[in-house]
Amino acid sequence: MTSQAWVLLVLIFAIAVAWPKIGLWTQWRHYQAEKTRRLVEDALKHIVAWEQRGQAATPESLAGALSLSQRRTLSLIIRMEKRGLLRSDPAGFSLTSKGESWALHVVRAHRLWERYLADDAGMPMERLHQAAEIAEHQLSAEKLDKLDAHLGHPQRDPHGDPIPAADGSLKPVDAVSLSQWPTGEQARIVHIEDEPDVIFRQIIAAGLRPGVNIRILENTPERLVISDGNTEHRLAHIVAANIQVAEARHSLRPAGAIRLSELPKGEPAEVIELDAACRGFSRRRLLDLGLTPQTRIEVALDNPFGDPRAYRVRGTTIALRRQQAGQIWVKPPSTSANQQTAKEAIHA
Amino acid sequence: MTTKVLDPREVLLRADHLRREMGDDFRDRIVSSLYADAQRIADRSVQIGTGQKWDWDQKIDRIVTSPVFGLPIMLGILALIFWITIIGANYPSQMLAEFFFVVEARAAELFIAWGVPALLTGFIWNGVFRGLAWVVSVMLPPMAIFFPMFTVLEDLGYLPRVAFNMDWLFRNAGAHGKQALTMAMGFGCNAAGITATRVIDSPRERLIAILTNNFVPCNGRFPTLIMLATIFVAAAFPPAFASLAAAGAVVGVVLIGVGFTLLSSWLLARTVLQGEASAFTLELPPYRRPSILRILYTSLIDRTIFVLWRAILTAAPAGAAIWVLANIDWNGVSLAQHSANFLQPLGYAIGLDGVILLAYVIAIPANEIVVPTMLMVYMGVSAMSDITSYDKIRTLLIDEQGWTMLTAVNLMLFSLLHNPCATTIITIWKETRSAKWTTIGALMPLVFAFAVTFAVATAVRALW
Repeated sequence: MTSQAWVLLVLIFAIAVAWPKIGLWTQWRHYQAEKTRRLVEDALKHIVAWEQRGQAATPESLAGALSLSQRRTLSLIIRMEKRGLLRSDPAGFSLTSKGESWALHVVRAHRLWERYLADDAGMPMERLHQAAEIAEHQLSAEKLDKLDAHLGHPQRDPHGDPIPAADGSLKPVDAVSLSQWPTGEQARIVHIEDEPDVIFRQIIAAGLRPGVNIRILENTPERLVISDGNTEHRLAHIVAANIQVAEARHSLRPAGAIRLSELPKGEPAEVIELDAACRGFSRRRLLDLGLTPQTRIEVALDNPFGDPRAYRVRGTTIALRRQQAGQIWVKPPSTSANQQTAKEAIHA
Repeated sequence: MTTKVLDPREVLLRADHLRREMGDDFRDRIVSSLYADAQRIADRSVQIGTGQKWDWDQKIDRIVTSPVFGLPIMLGILALIFWITIIGANYPSQMLAEFFFVVEARAAELFIAWGVPALLTGFIWNGVFRGLAWVVSVMLPPMAIFFPMFTVLEDLGYLPRVAFNMDWLFRNAGAHGKQALTMAMGFGCNAAGITATRVIDSPRERLIAILTNNFVPCNGRFPTLIMLATIFVAAAFPPAFASLAAAGAVVGVVLIGVGFTLLSSWLLARTVLQGEASAFTLELPPYRRPSILRILYTSLIDRTIFVLWRAILTAAPAGAAIWVLANIDWNGVSLAQHSANFLQPLGYAIGLDGVILLAYVIAIPANEIVVPTMLMVYMGVSAMSDITSYDKIRTLLIDEQGWTMLTAVNLMLFSLLHNPCATTIITIWKETRSAKWTTIGALMPLVFAFAVTFAVATAVRALW
């Protein structure tokens, strides 16, 4: 190659690196700044989470949460102090007001995004957290306000954690651990801890989630037996500790309730409620069709291929896929019919 | 009485505060109370009859959605509609073509008598007018028959039952059951079918419906399919069954199209459009007696005239383009012939020829002019041909141009799968507002078309 070609090549390389705004150098700087911002935001989240539990985060806890070396954690803390985000005390850190409002913004982004993914995008519960961990760093305050309005100003994320308002105010969850709830009493699940992941998946797989009403049937040192009306769940105490409950708002699903998808053809039934897992658009849609509690419903048409089936409700025929119908709880016709025959027997 | 005027900001603040006290289930409670009120009013003032009508509806529903009869009834109705369209449109099309031919000849004579330059006369009458005449005579009769019949089905309430029967297929493909409805609209016009996807609430499933609608052959492509079915398929049967065989062949092509719709939906749902199935709620309305006046209005004014007008708008410039290509010579050969020669290798590879591909390039604005363009280049005459009967076309294609069954089959497949017309592409853009999805919507079918026809051509040539 001639020397001119070399000069040209070097020149091209230099331009590619140094070009303002789109050059490699700027790109790299931008990437580094993004990475630092993420780290700072994750640190803020950790500290605010500890503060909410009434504890002060320490350099050790921070290093553990972010999986950083002690040295890098220290430099991160110094940088954050310089930017006026936190103060170090002998007992640990505390956030400045600037740090706290930034931290709450990230928390709000995380929880709103989870709510959005669960309600509008229909993402399964166990995948929400990971997706929100990425999105929380990318949402501006204006975008969040729009999202908040679009979702109808939700109060809680899908796990039951409170979503901070735009002004940063947070309404704490008033709840106790499931293990401490009196046996025999009804309760409503209000919060499920999403870590550790293994336990969270177990709870979700059992169909338990915020909004579900339960009753504790048995509380022994080995285990906890609870019922959601028609299914009994046996939980180890380590699992139950991750579920928080509060006062029930309405009564437990009656025994013998079945999912609409299991309703046999030709038997009338009555809607009890929509499952707590049915949220967002899908829930609004079913409600708008008139599937409110106490509505009479029956199967109008079976499908050649089993799915969807058509149901007769409020004088109209509506086809629902099995997955949707499975989120509608109905009283089986047999129990109401039995009660009727029982009544008639008494009258006779 | 004085009204205390509140500061708007204070009102908003209070609303915001109250909202937080309401809890997450207040929507449920609002809807429940609305329905409870409505129920109370209805109970007081509405008397419900004996329900005989509902019994009838249910009996019909049981038949049209039954495991045994459901799908055969659907296919039967589809075949019947095509058959009536093929039978009914043949004669009026011929009459219109002859009429326009006479008009054109007279007008051209008149122009020459007035001393208008021959080039201009040729451009206007043998180019633009002939393009229009072809499109009107080829499209108007089938549309005027097809659309009213289709509207009757719509009016009866049969289409939601089709969606009900077909949903299992779409569910397995990761798509929405209402896609069956938008596909049905696509038979009339893909652009209309794409606009109709607004009935699908979920953005993901709606995109799938938009991107795959092109695999339903639209009215502009039916003339091609019908012509090929009549010339190649029907000819193999005794005359009494010829039209039935042609209709059967068209139904077969439609089924292949449905197959590709499902296949591409499945591919999209597993690659670029992953996600969960959204809420599927489909109302099955009671059957109604179709109102004739309304059907005539919606099918003739809203659809036939609309689609025809659009075709005319695109056919006129296309007619002009064909005339120019056919009349400008370079080294003694027309530009059209040059382009056809250039496309020949690619055309041969997929079992067609250069002329057919050229016709498809010129016909991007409107699929309706594919056949006329093709015939014109074949005949080497300087304008679109005025062949009016299938017998003449058969002689031209088979005896003179050496078409085989492979050419016919691959042309049917290509016509079914190839890229959407310009109007459809613009509609995809309007509905998605995304250059990315518009590009995918335009190119994905083209890739399918080339891949499938190439595979068929290679397989057939290897085996014979």
